[in-house]
Amino acid sequence: MSVIENDRPAMADKGLKGGSLGLVAVIVIGVASTAPGYSLAASVGFVTGEVGAKAPFIMLFAFVPMACIAASFYYLNKADPDCGTNFTWGVRAFGPKAGWIAGWGCIVADLVIMPNLAGISGQYLVLLFDEGAADNIWLTTFIGILFIIAMTWICWKGIELSARSQVLLLGTELIVLAVFAVIALSKSFGDGITRTVDDVTYSSVKPSLSWLSPSGVSSSAIIAGLVVAVFIYWGWDTCVSVNEEAKDSATTPGRAAVLSTLILLAIYLIVTYGAVSLLGPDFVTAKADEALYELGKVALPDWMVKLLVISILTSAAASCQTTILPATRTMLSMGSHGAAPPKLAQIDRKRLTPDFSTWLFGIGSIVWYLLLVVISNNTDTDAYSASIAAVGMAIAVYYGLSGISCIVYYRRFLLKSAKNFVLIGVLPGFGGSVLIYVFCKTVWDARTEDYGYGLLFGVGTVLVIGTLLLVVGVPLMLWCSFTYPKFFTYRPDPADLVKDPNSADTLAAPLGTYTATDRRGKGA
Amino acid sequence: MAVQLVVGVGGDSGGDEAARFAARVASATGGSLVLVFGYEASPMGPRGGALEDEIEAVGTEITGAVKAELATAYPDLAVEVELVRDRPVESLISVAQARGADAIVVGHGGQGPMRGALLGSITYEIVHRSPIPVVVVPEPDDAEA
Repeated sequence: MSVIENDRPAMADKGLKGGSLGLVAVIVIGVASTAPGYSLAASVGFVTGEVGAKAPFIMLFAFVPMACIAASFYYLNKADPDCGTNFTWGVRAFGPKAGWIAGWGCIVADLVIMPNLAGISGQYLVLLFDEGAADNIWLTTFIGILFIIAMTWICWKGIELSARSQVLLLGTELIVLAVFAVIALSKSFGDGITRTVDDVTYSSVKPSLSWLSPSGVSSSAIIAGLVVAVFIYWGWDTCVSVNEEAKDSATTPGRAAVLSTLILLAIYLIVTYGAVSLLGPDFVTAKADEALYELGKVALPDWMVKLLVISILTSAAASCQTTILPATRTMLSMGSHGAAPPKLAQIDRKRLTPDFSTWLFGIGSIVWYLLLVVISNNTDTDAYSASIAAVGMAIAVYYGLSGISCIVYYRRFLLKSAKNFVLIGVLPGFGGSVLIYVFCKTVWDARTEDYGYGLLFGVGTVLVIGTLLLVVGVPLMLWCSFTYPKFFTYRPDPADLVKDPNSADTLAAPLGTYTATDRRGKGA
Repeated sequence: MAVQLVVGVGGDSGGDEAARFAARVASATGGSLVLVFGYEASPMGPRGGALEDEIEAVGTEITGAVKAELATAYPDLAVEVELVRDRPVESLISVAQARGADAIVVGHGGQGPMRGALLGSITYEIVHRSPIPVVVVPEPDDAEA
């Protein structure tokens, strides 16, 4: 194996930050990226459907693997802060093929989320004007598609809300959610209420601390809940990377990470408690698609329900950015590093965003969305709802991979200090194994009809949707390996040349520095 | 008096017209010009590496084109280019301060006041934050927009 080492060209000094990302701004970006309003609207019904009143436990527990993975993002980012994240890290840890698939996994995860995002947005937008029309699947689909187009356009234009507008929107969102939770909890702690909806009578359940313990829930149900719930913390890792940017202050990064985490955990927990207790878990399950709205109608005054809907919509827009941006940037990175068509790396000259990737992803999302809706409407298979259950599978596989990549990449430093052992070994390893386990277990559980959502090609729909797109990546990768052979000669960074992540100089040599004469005899 | 100007070029900051204006002033006073292309990706998604490399390639191209145009029109004018990986506003201010420039020149960008307030406008922000004088140059089609 011949190894060529290049020095990375010195990066331009980043210059003065002028305190542009203060404590509040970093927290706002972190929390807004996670989009609590939308995440809750999309997941609380499905999580409750899996585990009943134990939903708060799942909401809390899902955070653990995600937080562990954040440690691996943090450290891998030190070696290679590339927008390709898992793709580049995968290449460095395992080689080009695994890296390619990791990148594809990231794109697929984002793609699988899009119909969910669009569907919720379409539904809530319709709810704002005409409640009856929200059940009209074609209307909500049409609006959902318009929503995808609008969001793709926003990402293409590079439009960002100013920090002040973000604070305002996020503030409203958090206040509305908190008020909802407080009113719901005070009702269920008090006399309780009873409502009859669709001939079924639901009444309040007294909140109990036991909802935070896993006792009495089957491990399959916990995994099924987890697979939905990991999604609510998606985007939170952005906060970790933004923290690096706020370097000028010694205290801001740590404080912001801790505070945004606490805010998120607190809001997810109290809202889930409120939602589950107000009319009991059965109601939330029955109205899974729009649980937060239905409960809001019971707990909140009319004008505040509207505000709740608007909050969910605006937070969906934020979530959209944390969905489209990572996908298109992975595509850009793959194109730029020669792993895929270079067209993917094309940058719009005026807007400075990857235009080709952005529109390709937008169109792909619409096609995928339509496919799901058409399948759901013409067969007994609820492919659309299954896609929500499958989202977590996609996230689990690509977040899980980054945890494992971290350990493999830094294997030489694992035992150098206790801190290393915990931060680049135990945490990523634990988070990675939990997520990979969640993925495998879901694959196993979802193979039969018992998992719900019907069958597709004779196999459980969730399994098909969760793995189909991933599997499509293999022939695509093979095609790329014939069309772009140079990239596939890259080799993982040799362990003895990986730099100490705790030193001042942590940047790895550029991707493609380490190549080898491969088996077919074509050298670099 | 030789006037040294720092001009924001490329991306949202517009700037071709700003560069022409700045070149006219700098050239008339026997001064010099620094074209600054500053960029930072959205904090809501992953950044760095390939993205910044690709954008920097675009930045090199854009500033190169402006520099070439100015070189034809003002052959004696000293024009430098700086590509900075930072928010455009921070980039302009830090370059201007580091070089002790007399003023920063930016294009108007053509955003309405409402859009500017909601989305943040480079021109708006720099006018309010810059410790040194700022010249805002309208674009030819601003009047119609």
